[in-house]
Amino acid sequence: MRLLVTGAAGFLGRSVVAEAIQRGHQVHAMVRPATDVSALAWHDDPAVTLVRADLRSKNGLAEAVKDADAVIHLAAAVGGDLYTQLMGTVVATENLLDAMCETGVKRLIAISSFSVYSYIDKWSHTVLKETTPIEPRLKERDDYCLTKVMQENLVREYADREGLQLTVLRPGIIYGRDNLWTACLGAQAGERWWIRIGAGAKLPLTYVENCADAIVLAAEKQEAIGQTFNIVDNRCPSHRTYIRLLRKRLSPSPRVIPVPWTLMRAICRMAWIANRMFFKGDGKLPSILVPARMHARCKPLRYSNARLRKTLGWSPRYSLRDALDRSFSVPVLREEAHQESEASA
Amino acid sequence: MTNGSGHPPLRSAVIGAGVISAEHLRFLQRSPAARLVGVCDLSKVLARYAADTYGAESHYTDHVQMLEQAKPDVVHVLTPPHTHCKLAADCLKHGTHVIVEKPIAPTNEEFRILSTMARWQNRALTEDHNYRFNEPILEMESLVSNGVLGEIREVDIRMALPITEKGGGFADENLPSACHHLPAGALHDLLPHLCYLALRFIPPVEQVAARWDKYSDHPLFAHDSLDAVLFGGGVHTRLRFTSHQAPDCFTVVVRGSKGWVETDLFQPYFRLTVPRRAGKQLSPLANQWVNGIAMAQSSVTGFVNKIRKNTPLEGMQTFLSRTYTALRTGAELAVTHDDMDQTTQLMDALLAEENRI
Repeated sequence: MRLLVTGAAGFLGRSVVAEAIQRGHQVHAMVRPATDVSALAWHDDPAVTLVRADLRSKNGLAEAVKDADAVIHLAAAVGGDLYTQLMGTVVATENLLDAMCETGVKRLIAISSFSVYSYIDKWSHTVLKETTPIEPRLKERDDYCLTKVMQENLVREYADREGLQLTVLRPGIIYGRDNLWTACLGAQAGERWWIRIGAGAKLPLTYVENCADAIVLAAEKQEAIGQTFNIVDNRCPSHRTYIRLLRKRLSPSPRVIPVPWTLMRAICRMAWIANRMFFKGDGKLPSILVPARMHARCKPLRYSNARLRKTLGWSPRYSLRDALDRSFSVPVLREEAHQESEASA
Repeated sequence: MTNGSGHPPLRSAVIGAGVISAEHLRFLQRSPAARLVGVCDLSKVLARYAADTYGAESHYTDHVQMLEQAKPDVVHVLTPPHTHCKLAADCLKHGTHVIVEKPIAPTNEEFRILSTMARWQNRALTEDHNYRFNEPILEMESLVSNGVLGEIREVDIRMALPITEKGGGFADENLPSACHHLPAGALHDLLPHLCYLALRFIPPVEQVAARWDKYSDHPLFAHDSLDAVLFGGGVHTRLRFTSHQAPDCFTVVVRGSKGWVETDLFQPYFRLTVPRRAGKQLSPLANQWVNGIAMAQSSVTGFVNKIRKNTPLEGMQTFLSRTYTALRTGAELAVTHDDMDQTTQLMDALLAEENRI
């Protein structure tokens, strides 16, 4: 297949391109005009064509999209203010969809997020799955949630109107080298102290290479068309377990301050009441003191990847321990690996 | 239908649903003087988001279509600066009043063409000079007009913003801001603030000396620093913009023959040093006491502002409120053609080759 991958130079994009090459696909890797591609392991791979474009502008997008059999849309803004995220996630997606419609490209694998779900109404320890309702109270959540919900609504709207063959994938927390901490664990107070909220709550983790595998598989399989899948690895670890495994591999090992979930929930509730009393609920508080955001980050829930396993036959390639070992290993550059194999030959 | 003041609300529309539109739309959503009939943006999804969030009656991706279908009385032009003249002219041709974000035009010549067109069409044309309407500036103007500071001798306006730093809108190499094509490059988007504020306190400028520099190696920027001195009517004025100092600041100092006053519009405080009732000997002490207490109060106000999401753009609500009152009553606009003419003239003078150091 000829796959166009947007956000190819991002944390997930790098692995998706690598996975797609490994499976024998031709990849058009879309990177931003000023991206330094020399650090991308696959930048000179013959199966990869680099496409330089910024999705916030329509310029050159139709040309970039026109030959693709499928588009894997990963590009999104993960930081910045609301309007940065609106442009980088929502308007970018709109421009991509317009280019697809203009060129007649029908197959789209859109990467959404676990952040789109509504958490505050969900009972603790229940299973979060694809049928869990989408967040209705977007004003109470953060800009990332708002823009990802808008993005998902937009791709569904285009799919209905333009007859796109759409697959929506919602990865949980994607981790890997240089991305091992997550705000769902709590907060980092400098390099030496971690505040861990909750202990037994499960983390909806997916290792970046496992996630990339699921994404490329979804692009390949006809059964994925019209479906929505959560991507999480098997046997999600608890906060306590994940932090223990991380600390084992770090030197010096950070110290952990445990804060029970029930205590944090009570603090959050008090902050919410104070906000209502003194600022009519319109005060800007840190995320950790806003109930809807706190529940989305730390609520003890269970997660399922049953639909993905059953429909596409996916199973994660790397276990948690293997994934952490790979994340902490010394990276081997493609050139070095090539030299090594030549030398051994 | 009227809103109690005897005047019906004006049918308002917005072109451009980017970051600055949020402040305008917040006003239009709350003000009884306005009825938001349309939002237009090249991005349909952004126009729809703005319309849904702020209760607009319709949204468009074509401004001419909006002008013809929504039939607004007043249009806010909030697009990138290089499009202001064209869009404002289109609105005037359709018989609407126009409120334009700064800079209204790249040069004084282009402003005057627009100004003539507005007068010919008998429509109001105004530019957003929002910082002029921040509380500390209004208080400063009041002190000056009441003679508390005596004769004005010096004005010093300084803005420090890290515009060349990675992550900022102007420094984005992937999608370079259209502001880089303005006569003063990206600084052209910020300098109107310094110019219109200075012009509130000084007599006509007779001489200008401006030094433009570039200290960063960022390829997009023509300049990232301006140090300018203006002379006129015995008043010395310094305008300083830098992107290489921290923390961010926007300080305004006005010095007179009797005393001086200072504020920072980004982290508001108000420091007034004048002769006190305690007499000449004790006035320095009294000033320290009074200003110390005021500074402590500012720290509390700053904290509350942060929680309340009040930003340094607070003056825009006052500017818009006064502008709408003027539009409905026929009174003089909050920002007049003379204000805009002088501001664009000063911008031209800062850029003129003969004034460069």
